[in-house]
Amino acid sequence: MSRRTRAAIAAACAATAVAAVSLPTHAAAASKPTITASGSTSVAPLAFQLARGYLRQHPGRVKFRIAQGGSDVGVADVGAGRVSIGMSSRDPKPSDPTGLVFNKIARDAVCVITNSANPIANLSTAQIQAIFSGTVRDWSQVPGAGLTGTIDIVTRTPASGTQDAFQKIFLGSKTVSSTASAKASNGLVQQAVKSDRNAVGYVSLDFVRDVHAAAYNGVACDLRNAKSGAYGGVRNFWMVTRGPATGPVRTFINWVQNSSRAQAIVGTHWVPLR
Amino acid sequence: MLGALAVVVLLVIALMLTFVAIRAWPAFQHNGLHWFGAQGDVDQQISTMVNTGANPSPADYRFGAWPLIWATILTTGIAVVVGLAFALLSAIFIVEFSPLALRRVLVPVVRLLAAVPSVVYGLVGILVLAPFVGDHLISSDRRTSVEFVIQLSGPGLLVSVVVLTVMITPIMIAIIVEALHAVPRSWKEGAVALGVNRWRAMWTVSVRVARPAILAGAVLACARALGEAIMLSMASGGKGFAPNPADGLTFVFEPLRPLAATIVENVESINAPAIRANVYAMSLVLLLSTLTLSFGAWMAKRSMRRYGVAG
Amino acid sequence: MAALGLRAPRRKRHESLSSWRIRDRVGLAMCWLAGLTLCAIAGAIVLYMAVRGVQYLRPELLLSKPEATMDQSRSGGFLDPIVGTLLLTVIGIAIATPLGVCTAVWMVEYGRPRWLARLVESGIEVVAGTPDIVIAIFGLALFQQGIFSWLSFTSADGAVFGRSFLTAGAAMSLIALPMVFGSTREALEAMPRQLREASYALGKTQAATIRRVLVPAARPSISSGAVLGMGRIVGDTAVVVVLLGATLRIDPSGSLPGVDVLRGTGGTLTSYVYNNSPAGEGNAPEKAYAAAFVLLIIVMALNGAVELISRRAGGSVLAQGRT
Repeated sequence: MSRRTRAAIAAACAATAVAAVSLPTHAAAASKPTITASGSTSVAPLAFQLARGYLRQHPGRVKFRIAQGGSDVGVADVGAGRVSIGMSSRDPKPSDPTGLVFNKIARDAVCVITNSANPIANLSTAQIQAIFSGTVRDWSQVPGAGLTGTIDIVTRTPASGTQDAFQKIFLGSKTVSSTASAKASNGLVQQAVKSDRNAVGYVSLDFVRDVHAAAYNGVACDLRNAKSGAYGGVRNFWMVTRGPATGPVRTFINWVQNSSRAQAIVGTHWVPLR
Repeated sequence: MLGALAVVVLLVIALMLTFVAIRAWPAFQHNGLHWFGAQGDVDQQISTMVNTGANPSPADYRFGAWPLIWATILTTGIAVVVGLAFALLSAIFIVEFSPLALRRVLVPVVRLLAAVPSVVYGLVGILVLAPFVGDHLISSDRRTSVEFVIQLSGPGLLVSVVVLTVMITPIMIAIIVEALHAVPRSWKEGAVALGVNRWRAMWTVSVRVARPAILAGAVLACARALGEAIMLSMASGGKGFAPNPADGLTFVFEPLRPLAATIVENVESINAPAIRANVYAMSLVLLLSTLTLSFGAWMAKRSMRRYGVAG
Repeated sequence: MAALGLRAPRRKRHESLSSWRIRDRVGLAMCWLAGLTLCAIAGAIVLYMAVRGVQYLRPELLLSKPEATMDQSRSGGFLDPIVGTLLLTVIGIAIATPLGVCTAVWMVEYGRPRWLARLVESGIEVVAGTPDIVIAIFGLALFQQGIFSWLSFTSADGAVFGRSFLTAGAAMSLIALPMVFGSTREALEAMPRQLREASYALGKTQAATIRRVLVPAARPSISSGAVLGMGRIVGDTAVVVVLLGATLRIDPSGSLPGVDVLRGTGGTLTSYVYNNSPAGEGNAPEKAYAAAFVLLIIVMALNGAVELISRRAGGSVLAQGRT
């Protein structure tokens, strides 16, 4: 290797090292307590924003590290003590580790969506249960449908918090038909419904771009109805702690649940608690 | 000291194998050899395991992975066979028959394609291919004929195999092109001097000499196809169903989900003991298949070693 | 002859196709078909990515950090993921190259006992064929054990988080190892025996021969193997998503500069593309395309580097080693 090549490689390594070191400008000299969180990818965007708002209002108090991985990962991490806060978009299950405290921080609307070529105005609870459990198999049997043909059900994988919420709130005792196609994220469900005319599925409120969101029991699925309580399909977002929260975590969660600033942040896309 | 480092590498690999095997053991303990068979709806079993969480009963470990194994065999097998034929012909084209300007463009492009991340291929699959197949190739009659068993929307065997073939072919093309270039020119020139035409000289001399490399490329592509998780979890249809060739043309559109895609979809719940055992069991099956693959290739290479160019 | 106004008989550049058998003509036709299909598909994919990428890529995206806003499609860039990709690649290759080179050297130059050499060879083939998701879950489980707490950070309760640049880098090195090993071994095996014998004849020990003669001569192959490994690391998604925590920005684990970045979490371009595509929950496909385009450019640069290195090696010992 010529000297020039060697010098170039050394310069590149040095540049990377300098960039990596100087980039995180919040590597402050004083050591602050760190609040670590991991869990649901649906709750994570909200958590990022709340963390930023908290740091703006109370600068310099804590540091945040928010990782993602899924509701189950978050619950397991906090149960094992790896993080201080687990983010969950599903309600507590009896199979969760013991000793966990679920702190509700926000609510989120779940919409039933269909393809734009099939703009069903309204779906009642009975209709949704019949469609998703496979009792009704053809769009011609659904009043208000814009087309005929087999119904393609799109659901989520078992670990999903959205799936858990949909099951509890919309389906009750019925279960999703075994013919359904399971997708791994809200985006993939949205994409599947967008590209298949016969499809029906459910997503979080943010993902209704380019598809048609049906009204549920006569109430349209939008943020205003969710906030006013008129829309029935609303699920909870939780911040889970091991035992009751203490120290900086407790201050943060109190701030999230009570301060007007936090409620304003939540209100941008989700349903605040008060 | 060098020997010590080599032993360290070996120890890490052995650690990985033992680790996966140990964690996979409960799944085989509760299912025995039936784990490899079909014991009902795979998705239902996974759902049960996820919902029982931290305290599963022995019955919750029940899992029959055959639909997933069959899906893996189908997608990998078809993709490798089709990809190999296509790669061989393309490589011969690149080396022998293509105009020089085209060759200079194609080789870097092929190498680039081999490095495109799988998410992008998955996106192409669900944004372009799956809607096309769903809208134009699947008739509503076909859908109603199977509506009580599965859904025929776009994603399925056809889309998965097409995208998977496109994903693994560049690797094979790159390896075969290099091997064909490494064939001594004098050998080809000898054939041409004897009056053989270019195609035949290529086929009977160069390709035959490059057989070990072609085999190595096929094995590499097969390993990549076996391990392809993210693209397949997006484009393959999301249902643990074993496509049935006896269904005729419908077979091509049926949804399925290979082993690696199932693993990646269930990594989230890996802290639940029942799911953990079965996910590691699936990983063990994948590991052992690649082991068997390389062993088979080694045996085949030994018989080719006499005239071959090393792959 | 031109002066006489006569033209030289034009010799055909290619032999006449009509003298070929049917089978050969069919073969030729299939080759052309395959080649043209390849051009079409390759062109389509590259054009698709280029069009989408250029459509959404703006210079400020490259230089600004990701913002924690809801409307990801309009704010923030991906500077941190780019640095994350580079950092992870450097760590992965820094671990893989010495390991791979040393193992290959041991295998070719010493290689005793024989059964151990064969085991090591099969072991590396196993790693080469292992799906990256399996390496990822193995890495996660391994690095969450207590002895590895120095690689990531420990929470207040004493449990190890297990996700950091160092842990992901270690897993990535396993992925890049077979490439480095393979290239080095090929280079060493292709070297003529006379090279070693000449060195021994001059009185050098085996260790000195390896250090001063063989490894420097194999350097172009080692470099190209390392660059191939880097290509694999850059494009890998599963290991990053599982082992790096997928935080928006690079989050150092403490206040010590440098080391704590390595022990902290972050994201790379691949996890960024994954999170913003429909497969993740970021809901910003425009940014995903732009980031994928940047990723492709990085890969092109890496491939170009391989080309340069292998062209430079044209006059080296290796070329003489081939017939």
